This record gives sequence, C-alpha cells and structure tokens, in this order.
Amino acid sequence: MHKVLKPSEWALVVAILIAVAITTLVDANHSYLHRPVESLRDIARNASLLGIFALGATVVIISGGIDLSLGSMIALSATVCATTMLALAPQQMTAFKPVGGWVVAAAVAASLAVGFCVGSLHAWLVTTIRLPPFIATLATLVGLRSLARALCEAATSAITPTKSALVNVSDPFFRTIRENVWIPVGVFAVLAAVTWVLLTRTVLGRHIHALGSNEQAARLAGIRTDRVKWFAYCYAAMTAALAGVFYVANESVAAPVNQGRGHELNAIAAAVVGGCSLSGGVGTVPGTILGTVFLRVVIDAVSKIIKTGADVYEGLIVGVVVVLAVALGQLGSRFAGLSRTRRR
Amino acid sequence: MSREDDTAGSGVPPACPIQVSPTPIVRMLGITKRFPGVVALSDVTIEVMPGELHAICGENGAGKSTLMKILSGVHRPDEGELVVREEPRRFEGTRDAERAGIAIIHQELAIVDDLPVSANVFLGREKRTALGLLDERRMREECRRLLGPLDARIDPDCRAGSLRVGDQQLVEIAKALSLDASILVMDEPTSALTESESARLERVIAALRSKGTTILYISHKMDEVFRLADRITVLRDGRTVRTVKREETTPREVTGWMVGREIAAEALSGRSPRERLLEVRNLTVPWPGHARGYRLADVSLELARGEILGVAGLMGAGRTELLETIFGAGGDDWTGEIRLAGRSVRFRHPKEARDAGIAMVTEDRKRLGLLPDLDVAANVSLCELAAARRGGLLSRRAEEALVEGPVRAIGVKTPGLHASITGLSGGNQQKCIIARWLLTSPRVLLLDDPTRGIDVGAKAELYALIDRLCREDEGLGVILTSSELPELLTLSDRIIVLAEGRLAAEFRREEATEERIMQAATGNVP
Repeated sequence: MHKVLKPSEWALVVAILIAVAITTLVDANHSYLHRPVESLRDIARNASLLGIFALGATVVIISGGIDLSLGSMIALSATVCATTMLALAPQQMTAFKPVGGWVVAAAVAASLAVGFCVGSLHAWLVTTIRLPPFIATLATLVGLRSLARALCEAATSAITPTKSALVNVSDPFFRTIRENVWIPVGVFAVLAAVTWVLLTRTVLGRHIHALGSNEQAARLAGIRTDRVKWFAYCYAAMTAALAGVFYVANESVAAPVNQGRGHELNAIAAAVVGGCSLSGGVGTVPGTILGTVFLRVVIDAVSKIIKTGADVYEGLIVGVVVVLAVALGQLGSRFAGLSRTRRR
Repeated sequence: MSREDDTAGSGVPPACPIQVSPTPIVRMLGITKRFPGVVALSDVTIEVMPGELHAICGENGAGKSTLMKILSGVHRPDEGELVVREEPRRFEGTRDAERAGIAIIHQELAIVDDLPVSANVFLGREKRTALGLLDERRMREECRRLLGPLDARIDPDCRAGSLRVGDQQLVEIAKALSLDASILVMDEPTSALTESESARLERVIAALRSKGTTILYISHKMDEVFRLADRITVLRDGRTVRTVKREETTPREVTGWMVGREIAAEALSGRSPRERLLEVRNLTVPWPGHARGYRLADVSLELARGEILGVAGLMGAGRTELLETIFGAGGDDWTGEIRLAGRSVRFRHPKEARDAGIAMVTEDRKRLGLLPDLDVAANVSLCELAAARRGGLLSRRAEEALVEGPVRAIGVKTPGLHASITGLSGGNQQKCIIARWLLTSPRVLLLDDPTRGIDVGAKAELYALIDRLCREDEGLGVILTSSELPELLTLSDRIIVLAEGRLAAEFRREEATEERIMQAATGNVP
C-alpha cells in the first residue's frame, strides 16, 4: 500500500518498455521513430478507452465476481446514446447537423442510466436469484447485444425512412472527443484516480476487498455483502456505458452488431495481467492501468510489425502474451516467497 | 506382542525378527527442512518401532506436520536421512511413500466432495475393466470390504461431501487401507470430531494396531495421547525435545516440554454474574426438508453480564445454529423470543446484531473468519472502519492507532500490523478475530468453538483473555461452545446441553462433570 508500485508492477513497466523497443526496431516503417506523436496518440486513445471499463472489471473482480457482459454493454450504451439523440432530434440527426447540448447530455445520461440498470440486474441475478456471476453475465453478454440490435432497428425504422443496423453520429460534441485525445485520456485518468481512492481509501473499497477475499467472513463481520455486490456490478456496467459513449465518438457511429465485441475479455485480461486474482480479494488500480497499457502496446506492436492481416494474428499473440505475463508474474512472486496457497 | 506376529500375515514383509531385537521400522535422522524465511525443522531425529503407536506432540508451528509430510513424500528434506525398513529412501512424491507402505491422513481431509465414497477411496488408482473403462462395481465392492471393519455404515455410492467429518475421515482411512499401508500417519485426526466420533476412531485405531499397523499420531490433546500412545516424541520450534515411553511421563510434563515452560494452574472460577443481559425464550428454528424438521426446538436460556455460559452438545446438536440465530446470521424463520437487555430483538443481518452490541467469533476460522488477502490491521479493523477515517477517507495511521491497542492488549504475536494474516499461527489468527470484535465494544460475545486447532499455550492465553473480559467493570456476557468438554468445564459458570436441537440439561459449574454432560448430550438424561 505504501509503495507506489509492487515488484510485479515494475516488471510490467519493463515489459511495456520492451514491447515498445521491439516495435521500434522491428517495424519496417519505423513509425514510432518517424511519427512518434501520432503513434503515442493512437496508443493513448485506445488504452484510455479500454482502461475505462477495465477499471470497472477490476472492481468486480476484486469483489470476487466477474462481468463477462462489458463488451455487449458497450454496444447497448452506444446504441442507447445514438437512438436517444435520434428520438429527441430526428431532423438534425438525419441531416448530420448539431443536435444541441441538452440532447447530448440526455443521451449520455440515458447511456449511464442503462448501465446502472444492467448493473442492478446483474446484482439481482447474483444475490437474489443466486446465479453464479459467470452465468448471469454470460446471459447478458448474449442478451444485451441482441437487445441493442433490436433497439437500433426499432428506432431507425420508426424515426428514419429505412431500418438500419447502425446510427451515424456527427454531432460536434462527439467530433471534439474524437479529435482531441486528451479527453479520453483525461476521463480515464480521473476515473482511475476515483477508483484508486475508492479501493484503497474508503470503507466501501475495503468492504469490496473483504467480500472478494472471503464472502462468508465478510457477511459474518456485519458487512452488507449484497449491497457491496450491487455497487460493484453497477460500477462495472456504468464504466462500460461510459466507454460506449466514447466508442460512438471514436467511430462516429453506433453499430450494435460489432461495437465492443469481445472487449470484455480484453478488460479482464488487462486486470489479470495487472495482478488481479480471479478468485477475488487481490488487485490494484496501478496494476490494471499498466495491464491495459501493456495489452494495447502489444496489440499495436502486432499491427505495426505484421503489415497485412494483422488482425488475424492479433488474438493469438495477445493470448500468448497474456499467458506469459501472468505466468511470469506468478513465478516472480513465488521466487520472492510471496506466494501462498489459498485454502478454500 | 502378538500384533507384530500378525504383520507377516497381512502381506507386509516383517522387517526383522521383531521379538528378538526390535529394529525401528522408520528412522528419520538429522532431518532439516527450510522454507523461504524459516527453518521448519532443524536436525530432527525420530525412530519408530514396528507396530507401535507413536505420538508426536508439539505446539502449532513446532514442525510436526512438516516432519510427517517429509515422511509421506509431500516434502523433501534439505538435510538428513530417511530409513524405512532398513532401506535409505528418498521419496520424490506421495506415490513413492505409498509404495513403501506409508499413508498419511492430513488434518485437512483430501476428500473430493462431489465424488462418491468409492471414487474417493480409489482416486488416482481407479480400477479398470479389460476395456479400460472404470470398473465401478469392483471399486464399490472393494470399498465396502474396506469400510466394513471400520465401524461405520457408509454407502460407497454416497456423495462424499454429504458425509459428516468423522465419516469422511474413515473414508480416508479406507483409502490408506486400500494402499496396504503398514505405516499410517494421522495428523490431528480428532480436531474436528465429536466425542462419540473420537471414541469410534479410537476403536478403529485399536483394530488397525491389532493387524500390526504402525501409527504415527499427531495430537496435542493430552488425554488422547496418554490413552493411545506407546511412546511420545515432543517437538518444539523445529527440534526434537525428547522421546519418552508413555508410562514414564505425565501429561503435565509433556505439556511443559511442548511449550517450554510450566503452564500456570488455571484459576478461572469466582466470577460474579451481574444483571441479566440476554434472554432466549422458546426458540424454535425450522429445518425444512430434513427428517427432524427443526434445527432447534423450544430452547430457552439466560445470560448475565460477567457470566460465561457454556453450550455443550454433539456435532449437529444445534450449537452453532443457536449462536447464529441470536446473531442474525441464520435464517429469519425462527419463532420464540430473544431479548437483549430487556428489549425484544430480531436481527435479520449480522450488521444489525453488531450495531446492537453482539459479537460473534465464528467456528472454522479459515472458512468463516479470516480475510486471507488482507493484512493483520485490515482483518482487525474490519468491523470498525468508520473509526479509521480522517476526513471521510481511510487513513493508514488512524487505522494503525485503532487496532494497535487491542492487538497489543490481547497479545497478538505478529511481525507487524501490516503483516500477512495467513503467516500467523492459528492462535494468533484467532486473537486477531477476537480483537476485531472487541473493537466493536460488544455487550454479548458469542464464541463458537474458539480454540479449535489452536495449540496448548495459546489456548491457556485465550482462556485467561475470555475470563478477563468477563471480570472487567464493563464485563461482557459470553456464550461459549466447544467441542472439548474440559474447555467448557474450565471456563463456564453454567453449562447448557443441547441434544438433537433440544435443551437436554442445564448444570451449574459445581454440578457439571464430563460424564453428566455426555449423558445428557447423548440423550440419556439421568
């Protein structure tokens, strides 16, 4: 707690630097050397977007749960954001004109509200229906994307002349976000700081750790574990909802079919590479930030080094790197004598 | 010495002509084992004679389990020599040890809950048909044959997780028998057993010994050790203190060797109970779907400030359920009345009970009490975090100030407030949990089997602590359950006995004896 980074997190810093160095040297176009600002901006934007909901995933994982639905939540949030604007300002939307500040505000608020509802649904399924979190969020992983598509088609066919599986968004608010990398980076930084304070300096954060470490003991110590879970799932879903708004801005479109697809696993991978334990109780915000940056740097390296068809190998290489990072991390802590067997 | 004669008949080659000059069947010479940061064993030597029951005593952390894990192939020694039946051995794993006829029953049983009993007995050594498929029938029959002499009615097809701990232990013994193990290591086998299950285990041990099995028996229960053992080896801080014949020593002497000092005679009587604090009237807790229909039926009790009320009962008698219902941690479907300081209460969550001044130290520390990922300070401050805040945020310094007092007052031995809680000994972990609850300034303290798995020295300290808590001016009322009757007799002012969920008897301290309590607990009310 009193050190800035743990040894495993320093190792991750080194790993990031190595990945950057390899890309710098191996990339035939030497884009890190020739266009450093653009390269950095790309990585910063992508890392911020992933990082926003990886922080949410971190909170759920530390609480001993898991949220597999974050990618679909992004799609739903993006769709809600765009269709809200479409409903409130149909002429401006179809004519690609600015929709006005209060419409944008209403759209973003609607997205976050949907995030809250989905988080509450997860909490209800997990605490009242007593579904395992894996099952509950697996169901919404499938369900929410389908819901987003249905919403998109219903809204477009009701408001615009043709039914469509996507809604274009060209409001200047979103264009500003897209063109100014500091906005996502700033939002990510603020959210990271908030999450860090939450997890390390608040009673609720301590209860999240306690819940993830030993749920029964936490309940018997008088912690309202159901409420803590409710918070954790809402926090995760709302960070994904926020990320959904950024995806709309980044791609100028809400496209529920593919937006955010598979991103839940990237978020979980970032948290785990950053030192979260999937059995709960363990994890840090700095770790997740580094895990996120590491993951994005590796993905960027793959796309820079393999010129054609990089996306084919991206999953493979990311998978291998995640396994290596976590395995090395565990090996490191074992040598340091820090590893202990968990008895459950 | 007839049992050694039988050894030849049970398929194990006798090591030597025993009756003439017995040679040790196991010799561990100068064993040293280091783990990162600690020397668990240092130059330990022990010799075990064939057919004897050799007790190994020592406090937690003395190295008993490590030594036995070396013997059974779990760990490899850094130095020293292991000789089994005159042959030097170096086990690379438990399989090697099993092949040499050594089986171990760990304190924490290695049972796979979701598999049937027969599959557990043959786990990793499954019998197969000619086609290579599992031969369930043969395993079932073999399992039935192994369980037969063990004094238990266990169905080989029964899910192992549904068995009680005592029966699960017999399954492990059956597993050891299926290996034809002639040397059996038992690591604190009775720590989770009721008195009647312990008695049954002793009968099983006697039966095994009559077949010539050599038994290494780890325990720190002196009555047990002195009833069963031929010889006793005492370990302390990873070293052998000495090996003695049972007849040549006394429990008091052995305890002294274990802790390295004389334990002060306990003078825990003479408390003066004050005003009534807690009253339970006709408490009935239903048990839907169970043949009995209730967990507790018509239980009434009273507790005064400054009093310790002991709750005795066999496993399943409803001791834990009683405490959980008072604490609001059980279901909310009970009937009857609970009055705290004259006010009728009904807690639906432990938080409500905590706020009302009730604290509960749960049984099974690891499962229900400890937060293994959090440090000592966080484990202690858990219930009173609000007091560790400065300006709305948790402050490390405020938390340290909060927990330091009780941690020191109770005498928790820890390398530091931010040390890992899992690195502490069982006794110190338990003290941390008691400290956690004392921080909430409770009026009523519920202690559910608080000294289970804790070594002798720490136990004495806990007794003194509980006694002190009741004597102070702001004395607590304590309800204590225990699986060990001597503990209840030492501490309690009054003892109630539960049998099958009903109140079977109530004794004042002067009236209570182990026999009378056991009679009531087993349903033979005199």
